[in-house]
Amino acid sequence: MEYILNQLINGICQGSIYALMAIGYSVIVGVVGMVTFTYGEIMMIGAFSSYYIFTGLSNNLPLAILGAFAGSFIIGSIVYKLCYERFFNAPRHISLLCTIGISMLIKNLAQIVFGPDTKPVLNVIDNTTFTLNLFGANLNIRLLQIVVIVLVIVFAVALTLFFNKTKWGVMLRAVSQNKDASYLMGISVKRTALLGNCIGCGFGGIAGILLALYYGSVSATMGASYSTKAFAASVLGGLVDIRFSALGGLCIGIIENMGIIFTSATFRDVFAFAFLILILIIRPQGFVSKKGARV
Amino acid sequence: MKKRVLALTLTFALAASVLAGCGGDKEEETKAPETQAAGEEGTQAADETQAAGDDATQAPAADSGESKGVIKLGGLAPLTGQYAEYGTGFDIGFHKAIEEINAAGGVNGYTFEIEIEDTQSDPVNSSTMATKFAEDDEVMALLGDFSSSAAKSTVQICDSYGILQLSPTASASDYAAMSPNFFGIMGRQDVEAPFLAKYVLKEYLGVQKIAVIRVDSDWGKSCYDNFIAQADKEGLEVTVETYATGEKDFSSLITKMQAENPDVLVVMDQGDPVADIFNQADAAGWEIKHVALGPGTSEQVVKRLNDKDNLIVTSPFFFDPDDAELTAWAEWFQSEAGFAPTIHPACAYDCVYLIAEAVKTIDGEVTRENLRDALANLPEYTGVTGAIKFEADGDIKRNYMICGIEGGEWKVLEGFEFGAAGF
Repeated sequence: MEYILNQLINGICQGSIYALMAIGYSVIVGVVGMVTFTYGEIMMIGAFSSYYIFTGLSNNLPLAILGAFAGSFIIGSIVYKLCYERFFNAPRHISLLCTIGISMLIKNLAQIVFGPDTKPVLNVIDNTTFTLNLFGANLNIRLLQIVVIVLVIVFAVALTLFFNKTKWGVMLRAVSQNKDASYLMGISVKRTALLGNCIGCGFGGIAGILLALYYGSVSATMGASYSTKAFAASVLGGLVDIRFSALGGLCIGIIENMGIIFTSATFRDVFAFAFLILILIIRPQGFVSKKGARV
Repeated sequence: MKKRVLALTLTFALAASVLAGCGGDKEEETKAPETQAAGEEGTQAADETQAAGDDATQAPAADSGESKGVIKLGGLAPLTGQYAEYGTGFDIGFHKAIEEINAAGGVNGYTFEIEIEDTQSDPVNSSTMATKFAEDDEVMALLGDFSSSAAKSTVQICDSYGILQLSPTASASDYAAMSPNFFGIMGRQDVEAPFLAKYVLKEYLGVQKIAVIRVDSDWGKSCYDNFIAQADKEGLEVTVETYATGEKDFSSLITKMQAENPDVLVVMDQGDPVADIFNQADAAGWEIKHVALGPGTSEQVVKRLNDKDNLIVTSPFFFDPDDAELTAWAEWFQSEAGFAPTIHPACAYDCVYLIAEAVKTIDGEVTRENLRDALANLPEYTGVTGAIKFEADGDIKRNYMICGIEGGEWKVLEGFEFGAAGF
């Protein structure tokens, strides 16, 4: 029982990071209207931005989060200009191929600029472990896990408030729901889509710093596997709904970690994607309702 | 017009970055003339390099006879991807040895050159690049790949084209035996893994309950199969968990292993995952002795460890700070690579010298066939990594030390004599 609860904590923590990744991904897909293959590299840029702030400014977490958001936000604007802006009216596969090319470009440039070796991100948060007694079972939860979960909740709530309570948020939702109607209402669709893409990428950058903190390292090739998870979580949430995408991410994290109870970590991805396939067979639209609730 | 310029710029940037990441061709083109110049003019740089090489190895004697041409070698290395650090080491090690040999006038009238292709140590890439080299009649031997899986993938190519492959680091015990054209100098897991079970765990640490976390690869399986056979003989209680290559999250495995309450945590992998697993175990508040099979005395691992004084490894090689020659080699490597060397680049360096030694024993024209035979029959050669003598299957058996980290620095805890009694 104790072991299962501790695995559940691991799953919730990992799922929280997946949730934040999926939120950013859903914002991009929802507002821009196109799938991206650069998301893994965006997260990597966020992780490296935080790494250089940690090493240059002695583990200043708030500044590193800001730096990760800013770094990924800027790269997001470049990706938008190169991959989306000119291809809004072109067939979708054009921008899709562009994102694949830009993804390769960023990854290879990162290996040249940052180096091929993995960089350590250590001792940013104390190795303190709290033990809670729950129905007679000792539940171990680390300070790092608490920080990760709290940060994910804070950023998810902040994004929800931004979308619901600000003028820009309303514009983003409008563009997400209907670009033509938004244009007729006087909204600059391209500028709004740029902002949406950059915000999504900024959230990817914050997910990158959480990955760096949780796994204690950053590398130029770290993004590939996580972008697949972000996509899977986003698909579970219906691709464009941030709440259900977050739920999708959380579920994948928990399923992966609970699966390890019964077998080895080699099959971690098997559990995640078997769950995805199962859900899509039962509900092809994912967790989201059929009517859809975009961004 | 602006769109066209932008498109052209992007295409160029993409092509340039991929080429920079994937190939050593251009570097080769620029290094060859430098090497030649160094050989002809005896520049100071070449002299310095040669001096370091002479100190550390038995450099093949220069032949004053006429030039017979260039022996081209095909390098397979993970220049990008998760093993890029090792691939970079290969690249530097191969080129360093070739520069030294050519600067000394070559061997039997031959000079050497190498073209390195990036395989990411992926079996598919490795076999594709091996085919490319094998199709080129001028390429006399393949050097690489890094992982056992990638090195094994070229077996049919090497046999079909009759070209030898000398891997600096493949250590799966069945690698070299797969083909008469396969050679390896890392040492084999059927010696190192039993050494871990008997000498490190049973005799040195005196532990009974062992938790093993290993990578699920050819190499990892070979390590574990050899380890468990000896562990059973020693009466050790072993629990094992595996993970896929490229895994980053080990928290669930650590929680699972913690529940078993073992005496020691053993990781079987190389490079980053070793530090990741031990760091995540520390972060989980798990106080347990750490042992690793695979990374050797890697400075990169030390740099990335949270607790720098809790790791014991098996190693066939040690950059002893009291050995001036090895220290000079290590310092030179650090200045070139920007990070400290492990045994891997040193093995790459030795591989080129082994080919040169084999060429030295060949009378007349060097062909793929007689180079293979010459390498197989080469007498014992002492390189940077120690004595090398190929066995009948093309592999070598190394002796192992027990090394550990004290005060953030690698130390030899028990020398070669500790495991001298064998198994």
